[in-house]
Amino acid sequence: MRRLLALPITLGIVWLVVQFGAYAELQRPTALALGFALIAAALAGGLLERIGLPRVTGYLLFGMACGPYVLNIITRPMARELQIINGLAVVLIAFIAGLEINISHLRSRLRAIVQLSGVTMLILYVGLFAGFWLLWPWLGFTGMTLLERFAVVALLTAVVASFSPTVTIALITESRAKGPLSELTLAVVILADLVLIVFFTLIMQMVRYAFGGAGEVGLLVGLTWEVFGSFAFGAAAGALFALYLLYVGREVPLVLLAFCAVIAGVKAPLHIEPLLAALAAGLVVENVVTSRGDSLKEAAERGALPVLVIFFAAAGASLQLDALAAIGWLAVTVSALRLALIWFGARRGASVSNIEAPTGQLVWMGLVSQAGVTLGLAMLVAAEYPTWGVTVQTLVVALIALHQLIGPVLFRAALARAGELGQLDREAGPELLETLPERGVI
Amino acid sequence: MALQGLRRTISLFRTRAALGLSPAMAPIVLYVPLGMLLGPMGAGILSPRILGHLDAVISIALATLGLFIGIAAATQGGERKRLLVASSAEAAVTMTVVAGAIFFLLGTWGIPLSLEPRIVAVALGVCAAASAAPPITAGDEQARRIAARVADLDDVLPILAGAFVVATLSSVGMPALLGVLAPIGIGLALAAAGWLLFEHSEGAERGVYVLGIIALLGGCAAYLSVSPLLAGMAAGWLWALTSGHTDAVVRRELRKVQHPLILLLLIAAGASLEVSTAGIWLFAPYVVFRVAGKLMGGWFASRMAPGVAPSDLGAYLVSPGVIGIAFALNLDQVTPGMAPLVFAVSIGAVASEIVAVIVVPPRPQPQPA
Repeated sequence: MRRLLALPITLGIVWLVVQFGAYAELQRPTALALGFALIAAALAGGLLERIGLPRVTGYLLFGMACGPYVLNIITRPMARELQIINGLAVVLIAFIAGLEINISHLRSRLRAIVQLSGVTMLILYVGLFAGFWLLWPWLGFTGMTLLERFAVVALLTAVVASFSPTVTIALITESRAKGPLSELTLAVVILADLVLIVFFTLIMQMVRYAFGGAGEVGLLVGLTWEVFGSFAFGAAAGALFALYLLYVGREVPLVLLAFCAVIAGVKAPLHIEPLLAALAAGLVVENVVTSRGDSLKEAAERGALPVLVIFFAAAGASLQLDALAAIGWLAVTVSALRLALIWFGARRGASVSNIEAPTGQLVWMGLVSQAGVTLGLAMLVAAEYPTWGVTVQTLVVALIALHQLIGPVLFRAALARAGELGQLDREAGPELLETLPERGVI
Repeated sequence: MALQGLRRTISLFRTRAALGLSPAMAPIVLYVPLGMLLGPMGAGILSPRILGHLDAVISIALATLGLFIGIAAATQGGERKRLLVASSAEAAVTMTVVAGAIFFLLGTWGIPLSLEPRIVAVALGVCAAASAAPPITAGDEQARRIAARVADLDDVLPILAGAFVVATLSSVGMPALLGVLAPIGIGLALAAAGWLLFEHSEGAERGVYVLGIIALLGGCAAYLSVSPLLAGMAAGWLWALTSGHTDAVVRRELRKVQHPLILLLLIAAGASLEVSTAGIWLFAPYVVFRVAGKLMGGWFASRMAPGVAPSDLGAYLVSPGVIGIAFALNLDQVTPGMAPLVFAVSIGAVASEIVAVIVVPPRPQPQPA
């Protein structure tokens, strides 16, 4: 608890610096925001862990408390600067997830994973569609025809049904979890993300048709590129990285950073989905150069902690609490419905696919979180349909705020009940971790 | 002698060493040109927008460098005070020679600069004063060992002088003295916070705290437009002097990020280069006067600490290391119009590393048994 004394010192210095720095012509807040978020969020995470909650919730709460909506110690420009790290963070997190997926190990469980995902998503999509149809008078959309209503409800369903691969991977990495539940949840969430991208694109076509616009033929080509192109690009990048590890193997952290920056950077010019590309790259490294992949995995996971702290603190600082306050009751209702559907769907899915307890009973708890992908889709809708799309965005932002807080708590509890928390550390043993610097891995 | 030097220079550009895979070549020689190739002047991969994002990394790298210097300055072994005085004298002579000569030349040649000539001259003097430790091996002679310690200590005075220059040019509008005291205060306060955190944590969590404190050292200084090097040096100095094993913890944790940070700093420096008439004009005098200043400063230091510092100390200190480039980048961060200075110092550092290969006395050949 002595280290908590560092918090007032840090807070005091940052407050003083921000006050004095207000007079500077050119403010450069990035490093300040990074440092403050690392220290204070890590302390908050440590505190919450003591009472059995996930560290990531501590990072989020810190971001919320110090962010622009509450204490404003992390000002809006600082929060914006922290968001820059997010692109890199998502790629690193997905790359680590790819490193965790051993294809030969998963092959025997593929059928069960597909069945579980299929049943869960079917129940979730049908249930949410019915729910939004019934809640229509309270959603705030007016003057729409039946076809338009159908299209908007389908769109809301697709966006709200989405999961968060980033949060799932981040929580598994941060809690050093390993086991059937971690693997199953990760596989379901990634599969659902792929389906979501396809579904969302098709529904957007329907919405365009319903609102009198012309559907884009190029959209399907774009969709194909976004899914398969991302995988192909990521696999090629992963193969290059694997070759580098095999034949050069020097300056690995720097090359890994550049690798993540390249994948994050090609999103706009090549229309690549960085999450899928990084996942594919990790898969290639893990399954092609297993020997170097293992040590790289250890290094990446160890180095991921600061990235996770920043990622979640930034997410907390950017949570739009005003949206939640504006439509709180509606968001809570939709969230409760989604939670109930996930619980029912995942349990039915586990039963159909013969997944044994406790994994089958607990998997629903890992499917609650929502984050960047969901927000990105809502922003696309708002950009294309400014009149009613903003209403969709407000509802989705409020839901993300809720699910960011609830999701990690539930998933950590599930991992704890499955006995998977800290399993990676137990398997690695102290010797392996101590020798990483000497082996030039970190 | 000259032929031998030429042979050694050529050998540097061979195979593994030329690829930076061998420690025989200083990273500056590879990574500054690499940055140029990747930057806006070259392939444009490191665009001005990306370089803007790297600004935070530069601030953090500056604080890290300062931190190592602070720890080294506080933990030098025997003869520490005499060596510190001799090293500071060597740095002062180098600064005076370079600043005086450049100021004279600027007045004579009338090179078009957007900054006052005296500020450019002093800034170049500060950049020139830092030097890198020649690599030490177990069987090295005493002169080389002493030179390595001097190279650690001769950065202290330039960092203080550099902090004053940065404070003078800063846009915050605080008095220059306050601009020097502010990073010291930030460094000491954050060192206290760091001590509380590092002594009572372990594992990956401690790594996060170390990174956080380093980022705050660089970030607070950058936000106030004061010197991150001085903030880092103050923190490192305090950690080395306090009880416990904080300095060892910091060194161990930073070992994981130090190298990538320095390489990023060098690549960013290379990518930031803008070729200009003023930069080209400043480059050659900077290299020549720096070498002259180091040789004179080394001679002066050996007179101040006879029996401790070798008479050819200056020759060992010609290698500039990254501190000079770090100074230049820091000045470029706080005030516009520093592009010619960054060019002269960065390209000058590459040239000085090559000169050092010729000037640094060779290791004595092992006697046959």
